[in-house]
Amino acid sequence: MGCDIVTVSTDTKFVHLAWQRSEKELAQVRFPMAADPTGTVSRMFGVYDEKTGLALRGTFILNPEGVLLNSEVNFYNLGRNIEELLRKFKANLYLAKKTSEVCPSKWKEEGDKTLTPSPEMVGKVHEALAG
Amino acid sequence: MSEALKLGQKVPEIEMETYDPVQNGFGKFRLQDQLDRKRWTILFFYPADFTFV
Repeated sequence: MGCDIVTVSTDTKFVHLAWQRSEKELAQVRFPMAADPTGTVSRMFGVYDEKTGLALRGTFILNPEGVLLNSEVNFYNLGRNIEELLRKFKANLYLAKKTSEVCPSKWKEEGDKTLTPSPEMVGKVHEALAG
Repeated sequence: MSEALKLGQKVPEIEMETYDPVQNGFGKFRLQDQLDRKRWTILFFYPADFTFV
């Protein structure tokens, strides 16, 4: 896919091992499971819950220079939509190549309509999206 | 760091111990390795093992 996914929780690597090996849903897991038992990294990204010592459901995309480009955080009781994560990742890859363009909300993959902001487009975004 | 990172900021060095199912063993994640290899990274936080993700 062109990127490395790393999962993070405040569990230790030993618990990660035990969970991955016992839970059949995780049999196909192909990414490293990172341990943040002190909450250092979770705090860095603002997802550490001081009351529980757990990390909220946060997803963060970092470019190859280590710059944070996207963040999404859900509370405990709402899962994430992987299609939307993939959409955002693909958009990042595209925008890294086409730095003068922007991807509107309906953009799904390369070839879909993008916008190139310009003085002419001010007040004419509706026409630009239709064109 | 007291304040959480904001979009557009460079993430400070991160190092975490990992369990890697592919290697079937323990390892380390270092953000610097990603920078050296020019790789994108998705960090996927979740509350706890043995719960739904």
